[in-house]
Amino acid sequence: MASRPNVARLYSCFATGTDAVLTLIEVSISPGIPTFSVIGLCDSTIRESQGRLRSAFKSAGFNMPKGHITIGISPAYMRKAGSGFDLPMALGILFASGQLYLPPEARIYAEGELTLGGELKGTPGSCIRLKTVRDMDFDYRIIPNGEAASAGVAGFIGQGVTSLNELSSIFDGNYYIERRFQFLRGIGSDDRIDISMLKGQEKTKRALLISAAGFHNILLMGSPGCGKTMAGKILSGILPPLNESELADVYSLAELSDGETPEVSCDRPVRIIGPGITVGKLTGNQVSLLPGELALANHGILFADELPLYKTEVIDFLRKPLEDRKINLLRHGNLYSYDCNFIFLGTGNPCRCGMLYEKGNKCRCSGPDIKRYLSKISGPFLERIDLFSEMRSISGDDMSEIYIGDKGSESLEYRNAVERCWQMERERYGGGYLNGTFPDGDIRNSMRIPSSVIRFATDMCEKGFFSARGFTKILRVARTVADLEDSADVTEAHVSEAVAFRMKGV
Amino acid sequence: MGNASNQYNDCFYIAVKMNTGIDYRCFADLMEHKALRTYRDIADKEILERISKEEMGLRQNTVGKVRKLLDSFGEVGRKAKEYSKLAEQNGLRVVSCLDVDYPYNWRVLGGMPKVFFAKGRYSLIDQMTLHGAAAVVGSRNPSKYSQYATDRMCRELGEKGIAIVSGMAYGIDRQAHLSSVDTKGGTIAILAGGADNIYPPANKDIYDLISAKGLIISEMPPGQTPLRQYFPSRNRLIAGLSDCTLVMEAGAVSGTLHTASYSAAQGKEVFVLPNSIYYENAMGGLKLLEDGGNILLGTDNVIDSISRAIIYKRMGLACPGEIRFHDDCNGEVRSSDIAVLRELAKVRPEELTDDNWKSLLLDALTLKPLCADELCKATMLPFYKVSGLLTELELKGSVCQEKGKYSLTFV
Repeated sequence: MASRPNVARLYSCFATGTDAVLTLIEVSISPGIPTFSVIGLCDSTIRESQGRLRSAFKSAGFNMPKGHITIGISPAYMRKAGSGFDLPMALGILFASGQLYLPPEARIYAEGELTLGGELKGTPGSCIRLKTVRDMDFDYRIIPNGEAASAGVAGFIGQGVTSLNELSSIFDGNYYIERRFQFLRGIGSDDRIDISMLKGQEKTKRALLISAAGFHNILLMGSPGCGKTMAGKILSGILPPLNESELADVYSLAELSDGETPEVSCDRPVRIIGPGITVGKLTGNQVSLLPGELALANHGILFADELPLYKTEVIDFLRKPLEDRKINLLRHGNLYSYDCNFIFLGTGNPCRCGMLYEKGNKCRCSGPDIKRYLSKISGPFLERIDLFSEMRSISGDDMSEIYIGDKGSESLEYRNAVERCWQMERERYGGGYLNGTFPDGDIRNSMRIPSSVIRFATDMCEKGFFSARGFTKILRVARTVADLEDSADVTEAHVSEAVAFRMKGV
Repeated sequence: MGNASNQYNDCFYIAVKMNTGIDYRCFADLMEHKALRTYRDIADKEILERISKEEMGLRQNTVGKVRKLLDSFGEVGRKAKEYSKLAEQNGLRVVSCLDVDYPYNWRVLGGMPKVFFAKGRYSLIDQMTLHGAAAVVGSRNPSKYSQYATDRMCRELGEKGIAIVSGMAYGIDRQAHLSSVDTKGGTIAILAGGADNIYPPANKDIYDLISAKGLIISEMPPGQTPLRQYFPSRNRLIAGLSDCTLVMEAGAVSGTLHTASYSAAQGKEVFVLPNSIYYENAMGGLKLLEDGGNILLGTDNVIDSISRAIIYKRMGLACPGEIRFHDDCNGEVRSSDIAVLRELAKVRPEELTDDNWKSLLLDALTLKPLCADELCKATMLPFYKVSGLLTELELKGSVCQEKGKYSLTFV
């Protein structure tokens, strides 16, 4: 007969924001009138588990023991939620009631939701939880098989189970076999658009390349139907795939908000927002701590379509996250911080009719009208945009060449160039910084800009080419241009090109 | 140098063409023979004798004609001397395709005359290569409307530096020459007969005007009267010399339509002045519109078309050089610029310096503002190069950005 400890101890985890907290779950059973109480600031999902446990036990051939069952989840002062505590609670009851053998001194980690039929299901936030407990010391780590993909991304080692039945073979029959979870890297989406589709729009092509190579925010303006939206898809196609730690970041957030396990893909996320967006949707939910669009775009692209139509408050709100590359949520006095390190890609019409940049005099807007239309995008906001390019409708000749010519693989070349640049930039700065994300400060030395070039740029600044605040912006872009050319130092020619991408000419 | 002998040889070639059965196609066959280095060797009796002996796969017909030419060699020589003398008397220049200043537009086309006669300001040809030319053709008895439009358009185009090419006939041709002869672009008349042969005789007034201020060109030898069959060939030369063709008024059956179709066949744009459908003498032009001709609503589209043509031409020449509109020296092209151009023509595009490219960019902007993408396309340079150059020009104050396009600041 198995030993009957008075109290069974197990470990589980719950996610708050992008962090997870390890919890100790204690189950005690004492004789008396049957009761079932869960304590430790638990929400109703956890308290409802009684019903799931009772039914699951029966289906799996166990019994709900009679007596006072008290389950304590600590740290008791933190609010906890989620059905992932079902499995540790069930295990605790089975150990405490002697239905399963608890090896002495064993540290057990378990999570998963139970169905009434005794099967195990994964719960949202698994990637964050598993990443946290990955390096902790446990003798048994048991997770639902449904979380295998998350476990793979998190690099988790343990055993996956599909139903409560399997637990008896683990603890009574010693069939515990640990393995490192693997995941299949998705090959990436097929509907990528090749950059050769932008034939004839050389400035935009170049701007996209520089944007990708230095992680620079970019603004594209042009008439309706000139391929602005397409440019967004193209940009994601020329960014290098996510590396493992980035993948874990992206996947864990995606999995948190989608609930169901999303496919593991190495494509960088592209979050598309439109004029209907609110500040709340950008930041995320203050109560549930579900990430908003900004956090979901981390390591990828935030694609703001029709930017001039946004509410002023939204545009002004965006200034801070673009500067800090971080978004904070406050709940119950705790600060939860999400990284939002993305390329901001804004598109829009340059005026009300949209034809400002078109050939001929198609635009019917008056000068003041155009100013008024664009004044919504405030100056301080534009300071955070490194590159600007205007777009025009693709001419008939180019259009037929695009569709008749073979589907190019120009994007692949661009992507290789971008990858080379990233490597150089990361070696130069360390800490995973790129030209566009490197913090302000001693830019001159860290970006290797000779003083003669600085003088050249100051000269332009004095002539009114750009503002003093735009100065570092120009230097950053010039640095990326130099990187694309494999040049160690920034030269005047690089600055000249960078200047061509400033917003001008309204 | 042997200029005199060259001139004699050129005239000999013309004499052969005019007086023996050796026509254009036959001559092309003959040129296959190794003994002939250039067409000028046709005046060399020894070479001709060699050809008649060593046939080298020439067609029997051709060889027969060469033998016939040998028989009448002296007579043809006399004709050549006569042409040469007439040319000198009338102040005609004999221009050969071996000359450096042979018109560029003809050089790139097949079947254009190897030798032609020119009277007047020959520098117009160089200026035309730089700034473009428009053929203006139409009916000999036009309506007031067409005549008025011809006058306006020719003046506007001429002021832009674009040369007006026409045929010195009555009506539209006459109006076109009259309106453009005093403009910057100048006027060029191509005659069906000899360049000294005033046809129609009543146009003597403008013939004098053009030979003083403009240029008269003919592929026919001096003294030759214009025969009926020469006119279509002349129309082809008009289309070939210019960068686009403006049809001001054309009836359903008209020589003007020949010019238009030659122009289209040479890949040049044809603009047609719209007119009433109940006006019979305009039917040919309206049919052209139906067939896809461009409608002529003003000079803007014509200038666009010509500026495109010039940029492509310049790319072909690969020679930017010092090209500007010449407000100084009475609209004359400074001869040094042309020398620069010719020198640069030998340079491959990748060997051009930044300064060369800058002047090319400025040149592309002279006719109208362009955006960076269009400049990339025109110069076939990558964007990073163009953007750098443009910023430097902007810094110098030569160009500025407006509505997403670059334009000249004219300072």
